[in-house]
Amino acid sequence: MQSQSFASRYLTMKREKMAHGWTLAKRNKGCYLFLAPYAILFFAFFILPIGTSIVLSFTYYNILEPPRFIGLQNYINLILQDEVFLTSVKNTFVCAVIVGPVGYILSFLFAWFINELPKWLRAVAVIVFYAPSLGGAAVNTVFTTLFRADAYGWLNSILIEVGILNAPNMWLLDPRYMLTIVIIVSLWMSMGTGFLSFVAGLQGIDRSMYEAGYVDGVRNRWQELYHITLPSMKPMLLFGAVMSIASSFNISDVPRALCGFPSTDYAARTVVTHLFDYGFVRFEMGYASAVAVILFLAMILTKKAITALLGRVGT
Amino acid sequence: MSEKNTVRSSGTLQLINGKKFRGELVAGEQGAAFYAKGKQEPMAEWHYARMNRMDNIRRGGTTSQITVILKDDTRYVFELAQGLKLHSFMDKNWADKPVVAKTRGDILHEQAERLGQKIEVPKKHLITRRHPNRSIGGDIVIYLMLLLVALAMFFPLFFMIGSALKPLDELLRIPPPIWPSHPTMDNFSDLFVTMGKSFVPFSRYLMNTIFITVVGTFGHLVVAGMAAFVLAKYEFPGNRLFFAIVTTCLMFSGYVTGIPNYLIMSKLGMVDTYWALILPAFCAPMGLFLMKQFMEGLPTALIEAATIDGAGRFKVFWSIVMPNVKPAWLTMIIFSVQGLWNNPATTLIYSEAKKPLVYALQQIQGTAMTNIARTGEMAAATMIMTMVPILIFVFSQSRILETMASSGIKD
Repeated sequence: MQSQSFASRYLTMKREKMAHGWTLAKRNKGCYLFLAPYAILFFAFFILPIGTSIVLSFTYYNILEPPRFIGLQNYINLILQDEVFLTSVKNTFVCAVIVGPVGYILSFLFAWFINELPKWLRAVAVIVFYAPSLGGAAVNTVFTTLFRADAYGWLNSILIEVGILNAPNMWLLDPRYMLTIVIIVSLWMSMGTGFLSFVAGLQGIDRSMYEAGYVDGVRNRWQELYHITLPSMKPMLLFGAVMSIASSFNISDVPRALCGFPSTDYAARTVVTHLFDYGFVRFEMGYASAVAVILFLAMILTKKAITALLGRVGT
Repeated sequence: MSEKNTVRSSGTLQLINGKKFRGELVAGEQGAAFYAKGKQEPMAEWHYARMNRMDNIRRGGTTSQITVILKDDTRYVFELAQGLKLHSFMDKNWADKPVVAKTRGDILHEQAERLGQKIEVPKKHLITRRHPNRSIGGDIVIYLMLLLVALAMFFPLFFMIGSALKPLDELLRIPPPIWPSHPTMDNFSDLFVTMGKSFVPFSRYLMNTIFITVVGTFGHLVVAGMAAFVLAKYEFPGNRLFFAIVTTCLMFSGYVTGIPNYLIMSKLGMVDTYWALILPAFCAPMGLFLMKQFMEGLPTALIEAATIDGAGRFKVFWSIVMPNVKPAWLTMIIFSVQGLWNNPATTLIYSEAKKPLVYALQQIQGTAMTNIARTGEMAAATMIMTMVPILIFVFSQSRILETMASSGIKD
């Protein structure tokens, strides 16, 4: 009897909540009208593609024939048979672990150092640090010139001049160096939107907080960073984390432009270039979709983990 | 107004009809006043004591904006010229409490007086140095490091600019000089000659890029602006969920959704039209995200007042909200232009006549890999492609940073 009344009360509550939601929705009809153009386009070009990827990942689809349902076969092949995929996962993992956190921490540290510069110098510094990520894919050709395999390459000619090398080194074709160079170039480009967010966020911190902190006994910059700066930067830190997950998991332009596509021995293959290969070169859409789905999951899980981690900062 | 507890700041006062005046804002214990430049009489004056519920003073959309709405329906948006100067003295809830320019030291003294204690903290000039808790040695190490890293960051760009200005003999010298000894613009003129001889004229590529960028950016501004407005300022079922989904989609790049996107485009018959680039740009998640976060800082009272006056939702959006979020516009425009400018659209557009400029320049870059005589042209093309977004950023930096200040994700 008692439990029944609980259940019925719960249901009534649920129903009332839904009714309330419905009245709210009706009262704000205009809002949906405003949201509609964006929502429709967003659905068509973001949600639908992700949904399609998930569905296609369970099929064999080569564009010419209609998709054929094959269950988990794509995923099984990916993990058990596709050695190149495992290489790409390993490379993406190495890149993501290095470029993601290191790029993120460096972005924050440099934003923090820059923050204390005089105004005009700060403006110059922001441009110098942010410019690499603005250049886009075009900048990669600068690095192909710097790391060229013959003696015209800047690095080779310098190293030969100094006497460290006797003959030019094939920086971008030798599996020993390829991934390192990709990581260096990606790090160079990693001061992106997140960095801007940090710079702006640091400017917005209430100065009286620092004064209060000083009076309350904060004695050096690191204490100040941990007790005052970081806790007030949490929202920006989360935004920066999302941006750096995006850039580190999606590394693909750099290895494709620098090391060629496909790269020697697949040494610079990442998950996204693997996806690109199967999607746009071999037209195995189902298989490529399975790669995409795995990437989606990895990114979402990483974001969840980082959100939880940032929740503890400065507490 | 006693002189001691007064905060002065020069800036501009913007009336709600858009008129702007330069002058000085003086905020004291009892109230605040705005003096237009060269005028003795205050142009606008408000007293905290005489304000009631409809009166509202609070920080506006940005840290350097204050919106004032008085009972007699005069409204002001005050924009501080020197950024955070006033803000540093102000309490977070300026709306509820009068502004008092007290330092932390003053407050501690008051507390001590009340409790009858004596404290060591000096009352005036509590903090004389700009950063009291920094060691000089640490500063030197950090700035040296910053300088070195800045040089390393700048080097590839410097090398790129240098290469674009090198004559051919210097381009092929071993070791390659970083900066040319005889800078020349030959590479650029060669580039234009090559582009002029191409199958599709250079001007066509340029027009394609301009068309795609202008239409895509304008549509993005309106479509995402409208969505951001209701998401930021109205409470309705689905609001939070929708925004959470958009925030998650910030992570997914064009390549990952590229395949199904292509399939959808071909179903819609948009492959090989400009719309294949323009429509996805309309709904770029980054623009909506930044706009919504920025609009949240806008005082709700501004919207309520206009609604009471009988303005419809679209009118509120178009003539009240949009004029007040101009920094966010600019940021949105710049991110959108960057995205569209850098998009070579290799998979979605295959007619040569519809390709954007970046594609054409990439072709020239490509030929230089095999044809060493084209190295100079390649360097010039690279420099043009890279410098356009960088220059746009240089000229709009302060506005972008103002927008990014509200970019954080609150959970």
